Amino acid sequence: MAIKLAIQNLSKLYPTGEGVQNIDFHVEEGELVTLLGPSGCGKTTVLRSVGGFIDPTGGAIKVSDQDVHHLPPEKRPSAMVFQSYNLWPHMTVFDNLAFSLKLKKVKKIEIQQRVEEVLTLVHLQGMEKKYPSELSGGQQQRIALARALLLEPEVLLLDEPFSALDAKLRHELREELRDIQSKRNLTMLFVTHDQEEALSISDKIVVMNNGHIEQIAPPQDIYNTPASLFVAQFIGRMNFIKGQAVNNTIQIGDITLTMDDLYTGEVTLGVRPEDIHVADKSSVRIEARVDKMMMLGHFAEITLHTLIGSLKMFVDRQQLEQFELNSTISIKLVNFIVFKENGEVLSNRRMNVNEMV
Amino acid sequence: MRKQWKSALLGLGLVMPSFLILLVLVMYPVWSSIKTSFTGADDQFTFEHYQYIFTEPLILNNIRHTLIVTVLSCLLVLIIAYSIAIYLRFSQSTVARWINKTYLIPMFIPGVIAVYGFINFYRDNGWVARIIGEEYMPAIIYNVKGLLMINIWFNIPFTTMLLISALQSIPNSIIEGAKDAGANQWRLFWHFILPLSYRTMLVALTFLFMGIVGSFTAPFLIDRNAPQMLGVSMQQHFSVFNEIEQSSSLAVFMFLLCSIVGCFYIYSNIKESKKELK
Repeated sequence: MAIKLAIQNLSKLYPTGEGVQNIDFHVEEGELVTLLGPSGCGKTTVLRSVGGFIDPTGGAIKVSDQDVHHLPPEKRPSAMVFQSYNLWPHMTVFDNLAFSLKLKKVKKIEIQQRVEEVLTLVHLQGMEKKYPSELSGGQQQRIALARALLLEPEVLLLDEPFSALDAKLRHELREELRDIQSKRNLTMLFVTHDQEEALSISDKIVVMNNGHIEQIAPPQDIYNTPASLFVAQFIGRMNFIKGQAVNNTIQIGDITLTMDDLYTGEVTLGVRPEDIHVADKSSVRIEARVDKMMMLGHFAEITLHTLIGSLKMFVDRQQLEQFELNSTISIKLVNFIVFKENGEVLSNRRMNVNEMV
Repeated sequence: MRKQWKSALLGLGLVMPSFLILLVLVMYPVWSSIKTSFTGADDQFTFEHYQYIFTEPLILNNIRHTLIVTVLSCLLVLIIAYSIAIYLRFSQSTVARWINKTYLIPMFIPGVIAVYGFINFYRDNGWVARIIGEEYMPAIIYNVKGLLMINIWFNIPFTTMLLISALQSIPNSIIEGAKDAGANQWRLFWHFILPLSYRTMLVALTFLFMGIVGSFTAPFLIDRNAPQMLGVSMQQHFSVFNEIEQSSSLAVFMFLLCSIVGCFYIYSNIKESKKELK
């Protein structure tokens, strides 16, 4: 697929010393790429630079191979859906939607037709005469999306569009957005700090931290093979266990692991809670005491006390009955990742329990 | 029930002192002026004082002069203050920061001192005349131009302050949304900044009109002898000519003028509130 948006070596440094540096990624046509990271990591700075609201210190921004770096927001081939909806309070829904078309001198009949069409797309037919203050948060965000879609942008930018909505509505709108994106083959750059949102709707995720990119990969890769300790900590839940590596072995308490790579120094083992299973007799086992049990809807979280530290383990809600508080169980680590002291992954290969000795 | 009565009485008791002061110092004089303006020499109800002020060419001229000065001053102050407010709201420059720090200074200079300073500065043989040459000095003092200039001096700080607060209440996000939709500077102003700040403009206009139409110090010291602003004319009828009924009629007329502007403001506010409640 053709590259629609290319961000090359983008930098923006603020007088405070914060900002983004060497941001380099691209979005292909019809792709939904998410910028994910904690507050202050620079994801909004990147998005606003693409939209023309921030003047970058260096680098290039290209849309369909055209450098848009020098263009003001009103002349860029992008449209933005803002976090706070940004509907114009003194205009009706119709006027909010029709404004950009009027600027383009589109005929009245066509404006009417296109507004109705986009309102149908966002399931808000018949709302033309209402003012933004008469709409719920979800409806306002749908109108904001409709307004951006009417601009027919080459790249649609979304700045945490669902963060002000409640969880249920957020989930609903997320699905609708993905549907619209697929139907219209839209190219989208989406900003969020919500990892669940990012994992559920993205074709590709750009994880950012402290103004730089930590990892660019599809959601499943980000989750399964995080490129750094930060990504592992930020995406999903993970248990971290400190250990000591000597050549190709890692010592954690009285457990010894082997690995392909040679390394000597402190290491951290990352284990997802779902990768901790109850051990059968044939496995290498770790003894654990059940400290806490917590129902989290369709699954339960069990806190275990072990000799290598406190671990969280996920089990199906039906299995919860098999556990008892303060009882001792045997567990095995099905998969884990080893990180060096500086947070880098020691080996990209996920090791498994058979390598435990 | 007894508790409710007690709290009602307490509320009434707290409001009463200020209400009584309002009654004695504002409402009674207003009522007394209205009554005097409709009272003839024989203590009978009459329109003769109003007939006089609306037929006497000198007073008619004064009314016309007052309205022209007031409307022109309001327009000039609004245009200048709005321009300053927009500049201060959207500019991040050092000049803007300095203006922001200094534009309120005229509010802290007593009116009489400001007027005397103004006279010293702009009179025919004042400082400006000495710099540019007396032959090139236009007539400013004892002229409408001077009155307009001093009205601008007095009213810009407060009006700018009101308008800046209105413009600051327009979120940047609205402006960014408009830019994103393709609006250039002019359309931004016409479709967003103006509609979202015109209510405060009306408030500012109301205050300006009321302040200028009834102003006394500056017109008394700077304006020519005829025609006069109504405030000066009223004072002369009252204390120089001892025509209390005529000055009361003029006062009632000025009160009506201000009421019309006030009603216009209230009407537009109610209309907006209805739109918001919809």
